[in-house]
Amino acid sequence: MASKRKQKRQVGQTAPTRRYAMVIDTNRCVGCWTCAVACKEVNNEPLGYWWNRVLTTAPNQAWSSQSPAAAPPASGNIDVPYGTYPNLQLAYLPVACQQCNDAPCVKVCPVQATFRRDDGMVLIDYDRCIGCRYCMAACPYGVRIFNWGGGEYAPGGIVGYGEDYYVDGHLVFTPVRPKGVVEKCTFCVERVGVGEKPFCVESCPLGARVFGDLNDPDSEVSELVNDGGAERLLSELGTEPNVYYLPVARRVPAES
Amino acid sequence: MATGTAALRAKANRSARPIAWWYAALVLVMAWGLAAWIDELRVGLAATGMRDIVSWGLYILTFAFFIGLSAGGLIMASSAEVFGIKALKPLSRLGVLSAAACVCVAGLMIIPDLGKPFRILNIFIHPNWSSPLVWDVLIISVYFVFSLVDLFVLQRRARGTSKWRATARVLAYIGLPAAILLHSVTAWIFGLQISRAWWNTSLMAPLFVVSAILSGVALVTLLALIAERWGRFSLPPETRRWLRGFIIVSMLIDLFMVGADYITMLWGNQPAARAELNLVLPNGPWSWLFWCEWIVGGAVPLALLLVPRLKRLPGSLGVAAVLALVGVYAFRIELVVVGFVNPLIQYPPGNAIGTYNASTSSFEFVGRYSPTWVEYGIVLGLSALFATIVTVGYRWLRLGKSSSGDPSGHDDTLPTLLADKGASFVGGRDQWP
Ligand code: SF4
Ligand code: SF4
Repeated sequence: MASKRKQKRQVGQTAPTRRYAMVIDTNRCVGCWTCAVACKEVNNEPLGYWWNRVLTTAPNQAWSSQSPAAAPPASGNIDVPYGTYPNLQLAYLPVACQQCNDAPCVKVCPVQATFRRDDGMVLIDYDRCIGCRYCMAACPYGVRIFNWGGGEYAPGGIVGYGEDYYVDGHLVFTPVRPKGVVEKCTFCVERVGVGEKPFCVESCPLGARVFGDLNDPDSEVSELVNDGGAERLLSELGTEPNVYYLPVARRVPAES
Repeated sequence: MATGTAALRAKANRSARPIAWWYAALVLVMAWGLAAWIDELRVGLAATGMRDIVSWGLYILTFAFFIGLSAGGLIMASSAEVFGIKALKPLSRLGVLSAAACVCVAGLMIIPDLGKPFRILNIFIHPNWSSPLVWDVLIISVYFVFSLVDLFVLQRRARGTSKWRATARVLAYIGLPAAILLHSVTAWIFGLQISRAWWNTSLMAPLFVVSAILSGVALVTLLALIAERWGRFSLPPETRRWLRGFIIVSMLIDLFMVGADYITMLWGNQPAARAELNLVLPNGPWSWLFWCEWIVGGAVPLALLLVPRLKRLPGSLGVAAVLALVGVYAFRIELVVVGFVNPLIQYPPGNAIGTYNASTSSFEFVGRYSPTWVEYGIVLGLSALFATIVTVGYRWLRLGKSSSGDPSGHDDTLPTLLADKGASFVGGRDQWP
């Protein structure tokens, strides 16, 4: 067990040469929520907690907070198109932690519980977090999830990755979600550490998610990002996310 | 002019038994607060009304409010020295006492807000110096110690030993910038965040400073009036006039800044800022805050303090002070809660709120918040703690006794107060009736 832990701690040391990134192709996403449910499963998220969500949007809305927002459907329900018949628009935007390079959550955390690894992953030490939720106030993307009351689990007990996982001595994953701390998408640090891809990437039935190393010019993510046209959420805020989106390229009907 | 004061003073002699009831009530409320906190520790923060969209609530906004309240006392005590305003000297010790109590309660107010309160020392063990919260905790601690020291020195000076006068002066020069720093840093907790259109304005620090002066002076006014009514404290007319002036001026600047911020958002019409502003403007779901801030806590107290007929009414200063506090509290609610209601990324189904209920959605599109009894209990309990500290401190320091012979407790007598040039501040036409 001890040797196992030591091995895991080395993940942080091998990392600096890498820059992990994810590219999500919004042309491919059909809004099936498979990635969101897979995320719940692998991270054992309690009922009512979602680290990863698939939002119903009009195409290409979220790249800037200044873009005039299309009025969302009054119901606030998913899968309801934007606009009025026959000029309807619909696209999906999967959102989890954007793994920012200049992360507001890292800057505000008073106890350095939230930290950024050199390979670009933003992680939380669940043993250190005091639960002040300042990071939730600071994150522009609303992806941080506080554990309010421990939570209720779906029947069947613990699923997913079943062990504590440490990075440089920080507890960044634990199978039972701890009460009173903030949690979020970890880029599946424990899977990436053993050479696997994040579980949402694995599980997407349409191959809309690509994961890889931006420092490797031949990787698929590098090609997609360097090709131009990859967007980031609320890019004008300067948070420099490591999650990129390929914008919807299909023709949008003109306003009548 | 002295008739009102004298009449009130005449009633003030029966003070022994009510105080026992007062203490009993305070202890009861504090016990309720403690019970509420124990319940919250057991259940977790699920016992509160906060959830993942509105993730800060009553605790943090009341924290910001109490930080603001602590301003008035210290700023007044220091201004008395720094700017030589003798009329404010009678309030020095009461002001610093209330500042110390406020800042102590504000610091404690953060603790029930924490998900892991027993890890709070991590702030000192692993401080992250880029976090405004670390700086705020630091400044709160320093400010608390400072106000205790200042109180000690002022007490010594009041007892007549002149060798403490120089020290008191030096402390006053430190106190003024320290107070401004405390409020600025607290403002920057909010104002520096690019994630909230409602917070991210450079106006936040100056706005916090003026609203802090406004609420703090209103609180000291209220305490002084209460002490005059029940505690043999004397509030000379000249001092009243200064308090009125402070409230009027800081309220006007406060409303001016809030208004300037509204105008900027309305004119710019950027989606994120407008989404927030529409919530508080008339017709929005939070417009009651707008009315509390501009009418109940703005127009009405200004009228009470400025309209000649109204300002002559005996209770006008006290009522205006209470209303000013209501207005500033509304501003704090508006800042903290409304700031969270519309996330920047807001598309259906919204954010998961972090609780599961089989009959309702786990998602919320627009944030909602209503405090629970646990939150009210804790906030009221800590407010009772404030009242206890002030009551005990007032009696222990004998703030009431010293006023019987000599209103300020040391070198100021009524004639010198009235002759002081400070009287011109509010304007010659403003005669206390
Ligand atoms: S998306 Fe939010 S939580 Fe994730 S790194 Fe950026 S600021 Fe932090
Ligand atoms: S809630 Fe935890 S991770 Fe977030 S800022 Fe506070 S201590 Fe840091």
